[in-house]
Amino acid sequence: MASSLLRRGVSLARTAAASPSTAARLVAARPHASEAEAQKVEPKARPTTDVKTFQIYRWNPDNPSKPQLQDFQIDLKECGPMVLDALIKIKNEMDPSLTFRRSCREGICGSCAMNIDGCNGLACLTKIPESSAGPTMITPLPHMFVIKDLVVDMTNFYNQYKSSKKDRAKLDGMYECILCACCSTSCPSYWWNPESYLGPAALLHANRWISDSRDEYTKERLDAVNDEFKLYRCHTILNCARACPKGLNPGKQIQNIKGLQMSGPAA
Amino acid sequence: MAPPRLSGMQKQVLSLYRGFLRAARLKSADDRKQIEAVVSAEFRRNSNQVDRKNFVYIEYLLNRGKKQLDQLKSPGVVGLSSFSVGGGQR
Repeated sequence: MASSLLRRGVSLARTAAASPSTAARLVAARPHASEAEAQKVEPKARPTTDVKTFQIYRWNPDNPSKPQLQDFQIDLKECGPMVLDALIKIKNEMDPSLTFRRSCREGICGSCAMNIDGCNGLACLTKIPESSAGPTMITPLPHMFVIKDLVVDMTNFYNQYKSSKKDRAKLDGMYECILCACCSTSCPSYWWNPESYLGPAALLHANRWISDSRDEYTKERLDAVNDEFKLYRCHTILNCARACPKGLNPGKQIQNIKGLQMSGPAA
Repeated sequence: MAPPRLSGMQKQVLSLYRGFLRAARLKSADDRKQIEAVVSAEFRRNSNQVDRKNFVYIEYLLNRGKKQLDQLKSPGVVGLSSFSVGGGQR
């Protein structure tokens, strides 16, 4: 027993004798990095480059000649994956006069809309096609007046958007409801009759559909709430308007429904 | 001597010019002279410098002119002017 222990001890000592040298070697091989070494940046090993050609529509109103397609070569290994990254790289490094709209770079704002390889899309969401697929053509949105390079005149588009606002304005004050129940739970009428009285939130939503001009079931909707309990428990206490965190006025919408009930659904 | 047939684009240019002069008439006398001077100088310069066949540029100028005319028509505006920034200097 003792001998075996001893033997083990010896063998341990022998292995321990072997390992300190390796340990020492390990320690020696990794000295603490000095300040200078920490500052040094290792050049990335880039033996290969992936060159992609972009043909970009150029037109300058100050030198008015025919619009041109200008070629730019980009190394895809040094560039982000999206077309917008390539455009920014070209503008930073090759040609600062390249003009395009951009803002959020995440597909929310819609500024960088352009025509890429024949299809309209956002530059920040369109991945750069493989370099093996040939050159990529980037042009502005089709059939729009060009202000410069890839920037087009959007005023007609915005004016048309503005003109269809009146019907949409009727929905303001109703669609913003976040169903927090502050209004309904502040209405004493709702406290005393929660099952039968619909409550301000539900009636606000009902009015949103009643006043939607696209909706054809106005009469059915008015009949559905035309009940002594569902609608007429409202006594215009107006706690709901006071409580609403979004600033809506359910009381006003309920009065609108009551008025429509009186006059009959004319609209 | 019959005047030559005007192309559609020429008619647009002339109607824009007329629009500017009519808008100028609604302003005060001094502003009106200033506006007329600037506008007629610009139109004359462009008619001499710009190639007749350069439709793209003429359309661009027409659109720009229409926007400027809309701004000029609003009641608060008293005049227009332009200046060119020295380009290409570092």
